[in-house]
Amino acid sequence: MKVIGVTACPSGVAHTYMAAESLQEACKENGVSVHIETQGSIGIENELKPIEIREADVVILTNDIGIKNENRFKGKPVLRISTSECIQKGSIIIKKLAAKFSTINAN
Amino acid sequence: MNVISEKLINLDIVAHSKQEAVNKLGSLLRDSGRLNDFDAYINNVIEREKLATTGIGFGIAIPHGKTDAVNVVSVAIGRLVEPLEWNSLDGEKVQMIFLLAVPEKSKGDEHLRILSELSRKLIHKDFRERLFQAENSSEVISLIGETLNKTLEAVI
Repeated sequence: MKVIGVTACPSGVAHTYMAAESLQEACKENGVSVHIETQGSIGIENELKPIEIREADVVILTNDIGIKNENRFKGKPVLRISTSECIQKGSIIIKKLAAKFSTINAN
Repeated sequence: MNVISEKLINLDIVAHSKQEAVNKLGSLLRDSGRLNDFDAYINNVIEREKLATTGIGFGIAIPHGKTDAVNVVSVAIGRLVEPLEWNSLDGEKVQMIFLLAVPEKSKGDEHLRILSELSRKLIHKDFRERLFQAENSSEVISLIGETLNKTLEAVI
């Protein structure tokens, strides 16, 4: 499974980066390929490439504030969650996604 | 001016409320010349806190203010003698506080990068445990410096 995502929060100082790190760690733990873009006070970092978006099985977008250039993800399965959920439940979210993904593939 | 300094660390804070803890840590920022308006900064932090809790879980809170009342990107670090209720995401009380101060206009700043890196590190359990166990301010400074990246030591 390939996961991509974009994180952002109102002040763009801390939650954006914690959420990104939490998702990345959770994916690593679960052997899932991951690339997370951050849209924080520093600006856009680790920007997703078109090929990464094309190949992604799921897109995680945080919903604390709007995500820039969201139309890039048109037609992709998108999961919208808060940065808080990413921070607290990163591993649970990725495990659930992985389980769902393997079920879909098995069918 | 560096983002973090020993003067901005207090590992023995006694506070009985969020407000008191923020005030005490905020006064470290003020006393180091990082704020031009203490009350405005504190109000900004408290207002931000009302939007959503900054108790991110794991015994850590990251209250923050982004306002013109701040002169330079800074972080004050406090460890509470008695853990405090902070409406944390995981329901646990807070033991360590990272009070972030960011000027409204700062953008693409190397100092902001340090805050973002520090935020990322807080996700890691081993880093948190070492912070909780640090014996003094200089240990906290060297732990953060070493963890973030040796090349950042100059700016810390």
